[in-house]
Amino acid sequence: MKKAYKILPVYTGDVSGFASALYELGGMLVIHDPSGCNSTYNTHDEVRWYKQEALIYISGLNDIDAITGNDDKFINDIVRACEDMQPKFIALANSPLPYLNGTDFKGISKIVEDRTGLPCFYVQTNAMHDYTKGASEAFLAFAKKMLKPSDKKIEGGINILGSTPLDHVNTEFVIPEGKTVVSNWAYKTSLEDVLKAPQAELNLVVSSTGLAVAEYMKTEFGIPYELMGSYLDCKREKSRNYIVGEPIISGYIAAQIKKRYGTDYNVIATTEITDGLLSVCDIKCHGEDEIRSALSDAEIIIGDPMFELISPKTAKFIKLPHFAMSGRLYRKEIPDLMRLEDYYNEP
Amino acid sequence: MQTSSEDRIRIADAAFPKPFNGGLEFNAPAHGTWNIVHIGFKIPRAHQIYICADNCMRGVVMTAAEMGELNRFSSVILEEDDMVFAGRLEESTIEGVTDVLNSLPELPPVVIVFPVCVHKFMGCDINFIYDELSKRFPDVKFVRGFMDPVMQKRGTTPDQRLRKAMFDIIPEGEKDGSVTVIGCDMPLAKDNDIRKLLEAQGVTVRDEASCETLEDYYALGNCSSVICSYPAGLLGTTAFCKRIGRPMVYMPFTFDYDAIDEALGQIGVVPVFNGRVSCDRAVAGLKTLLGDNEIALDYTAVPRPLSLARFLISNGFNLKRIYLDAIDPDEKEDFDWLVSNAPDTMLCATMHVKGRRQGKSDSDKKVLAIGQKAAWFEGTEYFVNIIEGGGLYGYAGIKAFIKLMEDAFIVPKDTEDIIPRKGLGCACVL
Repeated sequence: MKKAYKILPVYTGDVSGFASALYELGGMLVIHDPSGCNSTYNTHDEVRWYKQEALIYISGLNDIDAITGNDDKFINDIVRACEDMQPKFIALANSPLPYLNGTDFKGISKIVEDRTGLPCFYVQTNAMHDYTKGASEAFLAFAKKMLKPSDKKIEGGINILGSTPLDHVNTEFVIPEGKTVVSNWAYKTSLEDVLKAPQAELNLVVSSTGLAVAEYMKTEFGIPYELMGSYLDCKREKSRNYIVGEPIISGYIAAQIKKRYGTDYNVIATTEITDGLLSVCDIKCHGEDEIRSALSDAEIIIGDPMFELISPKTAKFIKLPHFAMSGRLYRKEIPDLMRLEDYYNEP
Repeated sequence: MQTSSEDRIRIADAAFPKPFNGGLEFNAPAHGTWNIVHIGFKIPRAHQIYICADNCMRGVVMTAAEMGELNRFSSVILEEDDMVFAGRLEESTIEGVTDVLNSLPELPPVVIVFPVCVHKFMGCDINFIYDELSKRFPDVKFVRGFMDPVMQKRGTTPDQRLRKAMFDIIPEGEKDGSVTVIGCDMPLAKDNDIRKLLEAQGVTVRDEASCETLEDYYALGNCSSVICSYPAGLLGTTAFCKRIGRPMVYMPFTFDYDAIDEALGQIGVVPVFNGRVSCDRAVAGLKTLLGDNEIALDYTAVPRPLSLARFLISNGFNLKRIYLDAIDPDEKEDFDWLVSNAPDTMLCATMHVKGRRQGKSDSDKKVLAIGQKAAWFEGTEYFVNIIEGGGLYGYAGIKAFIKLMEDAFIVPKDTEDIIPRKGLGCACVL
């Protein structure tokens, strides 16, 4: 059954993806949820919570307010919290119960904006998708609301799109000579930098969470984008060696291995956003049974250690911890993804 | 008295039992308290199955992963189509659980199934689900868990109801003269007068938190009387005792000498003759060590935080702040005492939005925190790392607690490493 996970954990969810994407931008992020989302997020899906301030809250929705559609409490609580905390903007996220009763988040955003005088926008989540969807929607909604066209261009300026600790907790991106980073979306960054993004000449997409906002900036500001390492240009053949995980990162690693060692790896993409991100030899899988089946003939597997639980014992397994899968379990072993030699030796 | 919209308030100005208004909620990075996953694993060999959306699943499955218990945990993921079609939710739940159980190497004797808020909100027929699962797996005992935090503000919490459901499968056994202690997640400590004094009288004490086998767990129903040692276990213990026809005594860890004597009397034991004196002596030693350094405590540390506050203040300690969001109605007497005798003691909310920017103490001296949340809010590395009273009780418990305070004041801890870990006392592979 596609929906049953006998032993494999699920990826970080969309609500956590939303929070991770906007963490450092000075906004107040409100998850309309009874309880649990915030604790799950800050325990398992966030490395910054202990030391770095971010105004991320839940609404504490109760049954009566959910059933009667009492949005006033939600709105009043947000307005009051803004008076206390003075955020730069407000972003709202959804969860299963408000999703089920059709809460009008766009209407609520408008009311909140009128009452606080702060930009307020809704990020489409419902807790039923993985982090790539939530972070992608968050970057896109933020860009639509907050970015303004600029006549000024920074020569050689690039934006890094799709960088969150969920995918790149220890990655130091290698910037081509002559290029300057204008903004990083959105890890080790600031609101001030991110708002300069329209001044860049090129967008570099480093995970699928950055793809939608790259498309948006291409349409709105004429900024072209490249996928990390232009990995799709590297032709790979069908193989029984697999890299399991997020498609851009997996594709990038597969291309690096092919270039350096000539060995083919196929990507088994296990996160949601994959359109236009896979080579013909790659596949997309959803759920434990599908992934287990796809791995059944594997000779070598590169992936988060959790995937070893459903891998054939005959396959050689190369551990590549991914924070959005195994969370804190292998946090200290997550490598800099730019440094292939730190996590891959040709068998 | 009106509830306060501020994040902290003098106790003399605080409404009882709910000092603070509701609002958006902050979550501090202190996670030593147990959640429903930790609690469920107290039943030996039980397998847990959660049926919920991705984002909700993440917290519980990673709890199990960090305990090294993924082989006793499975998930059924709900998606949009489960919400749209009538009957789909029941079908997905039943077929998902069936699929999981059929794929396990061995059928577990006990399975805790956790439907969620969505099941309630959609009017899902829960009885039908359990009836069908029981027909399909007649050799499995199904425990009716629930992960529905949407209900917790107005009624019982999911963990209270889980404890009750877990006790529901304990069979009524023959009375064998033993005493069962139930309801608390912390095993009875060696410094616990309930255990020490009963065992000194030759009475067998069975501890729910220490069961190593399923047989041990089921044998909890062989007792002649039951002690509930923690507020969250009271609902389940009351129902358990009613069902099996046993008397119950409620004995949460308290710092009130008279209450200790009275409770011990109810279970037929006589307190040690010098209990009060030896506690007073230990208090004097602690007072010498701490001097006028500030103390802060939080509600997760002990089941009766205001009893502890009263004990400390009445013994001359400089207790400044108590971190809590609500007060147990059973603590009214201690609340009133504090209002009269220490009106400037501050009650501090842990969930208020301003908690994110909680200011540290102005004191240039060490602050001793009791509990993980207090440690985080105070920004101190001197703290007593304890939840639920740590399995302590009575005069032996108080003396042990004082020793923990002494040690915590002398030896700093790595707060950032310790308090984000989940489930203090559970296995942890981090």
